[in-house]
Amino acid sequence: MMNLEFMINTISLGSLYALLSLGLVLVFGILKLVNFAYGEYLMIGGYGLYFSATVLHAPWWAMVVFGILAAILTSYLSELAAFRPVRNKSANALLVTSFAVSIFLQNAVLILVSPRARAVPLPPIFSQTVNIYGAVTPVRNLLIIGTTISVLILLSLLMKKTVLGLAMRAASDKFTTTRLMGVPANLVISAAFVISGLLAGISSIFWIGRSASVDPVTGAAPLLIAFIATVVGGMHSPAGAVVGGFVYGLLFNVLSITLPASMISYRDAFMFVIVVLFLLIRPEGIIKGGYTEERVG
Amino acid sequence: MSKSDSGDSKRQRRVGRLAAIMCAMLVLGLAVTGCAAKTGTDGAVSGDEIIIGTALCQTGIQAPLDEPQLRGVQLAVDELNANGGILGKQVKLVALDGKSDPVTVGNVAKQLVDDGAAAIITPSDFDFGGPASREAQKAGLVGISPAASSPLYGSAALGDLQFTMSMWNTTMGAVSAEYAYNTLGYRSVYVITDDFIDYTKSLSKYFIVRFKELGGTVVFEDTYTQGQADVSAQLARIKALPEKPDFIYISSYMPDLGLMIRTLRESGITQPVIGGDAYDDPALWGALGAQYGSDVYYDTHCFFSNEANPGYDKWLASYQDKYGKDPETPMIMIGYDAMMVLAQSMDKAGTTEGAAVAKVMETTEYNLFTGKLKWSDAASGHEPNKAAAMVQLEAGTPKFLGWFIPEKIPAP
Repeated sequence: MMNLEFMINTISLGSLYALLSLGLVLVFGILKLVNFAYGEYLMIGGYGLYFSATVLHAPWWAMVVFGILAAILTSYLSELAAFRPVRNKSANALLVTSFAVSIFLQNAVLILVSPRARAVPLPPIFSQTVNIYGAVTPVRNLLIIGTTISVLILLSLLMKKTVLGLAMRAASDKFTTTRLMGVPANLVISAAFVISGLLAGISSIFWIGRSASVDPVTGAAPLLIAFIATVVGGMHSPAGAVVGGFVYGLLFNVLSITLPASMISYRDAFMFVIVVLFLLIRPEGIIKGGYTEERVG
Repeated sequence: MSKSDSGDSKRQRRVGRLAAIMCAMLVLGLAVTGCAAKTGTDGAVSGDEIIIGTALCQTGIQAPLDEPQLRGVQLAVDELNANGGILGKQVKLVALDGKSDPVTVGNVAKQLVDDGAAAIITPSDFDFGGPASREAQKAGLVGISPAASSPLYGSAALGDLQFTMSMWNTTMGAVSAEYAYNTLGYRSVYVITDDFIDYTKSLSKYFIVRFKELGGTVVFEDTYTQGQADVSAQLARIKALPEKPDFIYISSYMPDLGLMIRTLRESGITQPVIGGDAYDDPALWGALGAQYGSDVYYDTHCFFSNEANPGYDKWLASYQDKYGKDPETPMIMIGYDAMMVLAQSMDKAGTTEGAAVAKVMETTEYNLFTGKLKWSDAASGHEPNKAAAMVQLEAGTPKFLGWFIPEKIPAP
């Protein structure tokens, strides 16, 4: 039964990582910006959950809505206030700006709330476990799988069936040409940030759901995971991000099980070695996607 | 030609005058800071205020520990000043941010010495607090860390004027080992050690030494690294054990500690979990909640009740009065106590001079909110002899089990 437990763990972990990576890749596709403030959207989403539960005493569905909205709003506002003014500058300017946004948000929370972790009261379903043919697993793990499947379906419908989706796909392929066709740049970029924030918000619920607490540096680990997963999967297509997320989850769990206890501290080192190998041998990632170098400006 | 010459010389003169003024200002400035430094190092009872400096980290990864301590220190300073200060003088608190960077902590401490601090309150970990204590030692000042629990924190490694308020990990590890073996009757343990910082590593080390000494068995010594956010590997190993341990000792801290205990419980591991003062955190109790917050034991510095700490209600009232909320961590109280120890010792020594104050600290038994405290002399490392408060979590609510002094403390 270890195998079934392993499979559920791997698929649920992969689902979470796929959502995380997808949010990072959507913005990268259009702006060619690796947004290092992405983890902070997730962190703010967590504080959204915390405040709606402790201050507003909101029911669980309102908590979820509030947390996701907090992440979306933060993402959108950071685009408006920080990224838009430097959009036509160098790629480095954008990158440094994303670090600035990250540091700003972390310290804002540290000063305004507390440097200490806060407990996030979760809906009871997040603390329940089920027994599937002998494999004990938290219900949360099944929820994340279901959520990820729905999000992926909705997102691909949006991308394939709507004008906005078409514009976004076109923009991530050839941005200048797309603009020449009359697609407003601000709209497409804002939309990318909003969806990125939405994905951060949804991931936030499940990420926070594991520890039931949030602190100012909650966003660091998920950002790193999303970054590695997209490098492995491919930075140039949403499909690559999803594949990367699942591959990362699988590698992580396989290493966890197979590495001897004395080596477990080096699990991250093994992960990084794999990333370096990918960069050397297949820099475009598992899924190649529209591999272009053009960026806005 | 001549015009430009005269212009040049005029400019030169002007530059000369400017330089002279700047020199004068510099000399004046030096004299002023020199004076300020003098009142500090002298421990002179001249001047109308006593400066206490803190190099606590208000930002960065140490902030969760240090920032609440600073709140406690401020509360103590307010109380002291309302009651006549130290040696009849008002206390002025200078709090500079150590920024969770050992180099910055050292520089900030140097600045505090220059500002005329009579003593320095240092960050709460050997790696972060050490640099401040070394600067204090160099300047002949007492340095005191409210919560550094490493046995390295004392006179042996840092100098004969340096102290920590916290029980060392030797005591913290021993108390939980003895409680588990003697009181709870447990005989075997699975240990998970967070290898990210010195605190967690040395805590496990002394726990294991004492537990084995008592006759207990350590089934396995596992590791975890703060920030990994996943315990599936450890979980799989525990599940694969042919014989389940009586309990699990986890030496880690928030935020990952909550995730670790939750994951174990979610996956059906029901053995009791035992640990140290990092468990004394409402964020952990909340994260475990009523469902998973049982069968958890830890030893810590104090317990927020009149039963454990007589006079607590009065302290609580003054804290609420100043900050408008409830204290959320023992770090506040231990910061308060650190300031009070300095005040009592300076009053008793009749001076703020480092060596005299340190002498008093070595020979006095203090009765504090966080328990009775007696330091050993400099030759034996300024080891703090302090009782630990043993606490049990029941459905996410902490319950005080009593004060414990270990029968035997492992050698550092």
